Amino acid sequence: MAAGKTASALSPEVQRLAALPILITVASKRADGSVQLNPVWFELKDGFIWLNSNTSRTWPKNLQRERDVTLLLVDPKVPDRYAQIHGRLVSLIPDPQHEFIDHLSDRYTGKKFRELEPDEHRVTLKIQPVRVTGALL
Amino acid sequence: MAVQLSPKMQEFTQEVFPAFIGTMRKDGSVEMVPVWFEQKDGSFWINGGTNRGWFKHLQRDPRITLLLVDPKEMFRWAQVEGRMVNWAEDTGGDHINHLSHRYLKTDYRGPRTGRIKIQIEPLRVTGAIDGRR
Repeated sequence: MAAGKTASALSPEVQRLAALPILITVASKRADGSVQLNPVWFELKDGFIWLNSNTSRTWPKNLQRERDVTLLLVDPKVPDRYAQIHGRLVSLIPDPQHEFIDHLSDRYTGKKFRELEPDEHRVTLKIQPVRVTGALL
Repeated sequence: MAVQLSPKMQEFTQEVFPAFIGTMRKDGSVEMVPVWFEQKDGSFWINGGTNRGWFKHLQRDPRITLLLVDPKEMFRWAQVEGRMVNWAEDTGGDHINHLSHRYLKTDYRGPRTGRIKIQIEPLRVTGAIDGRR
């Protein structure tokens, strides 16, 4: 991974794509080694990729166990243009006031996030991009 | 055991968008790339050069996950966990040409030799199309 690009080296094309309100696909590994893919909201900020989830979902649990994550950004107009980002979960930040999910919701919908379910706990995942491959370097 | 696709999934998989496929590298990391696909008779078919990383991974570990997302309405999505059950040489590039017509409505312009077609059997379907998390 040493030869990979660090966050500061994310190309202008990748940054432009990441600025759009499109979903990013998160690949995580289940305990049995199979691959789980989920489309999720994200934000690229300060060189990190920020995600948010309900703590009861499987994919954040998978990431907590494995830490290594693959993310895929695809240009919705030109699917041949994509960036595969290998990253590492560097921190997991509780979001008890759901400020970050409100912020993400605003980015995508222009509105605050829905009311949380009674037992719903949100968590923010901070991911350090380590290496970028694909047709959008 | 293979699962049968629901009527909603049958319809959804006729729509034209790429599948994002996840396969496992030897080092345990996940490779994820967009590819053309076709669903036919309950199986998923993809096509690639024999030098593609994902084909090498599948020969070692046949498990493959497909994510199907409507690019215009990204909350319409389905995750298909499957496994490669068969692969064959794409003689003359007939299959890639068929996929090219599905996606671009034109003949395939890339190389038609050294290609393989892969059959994927769905084992589990989750996501918003079937309403199963």
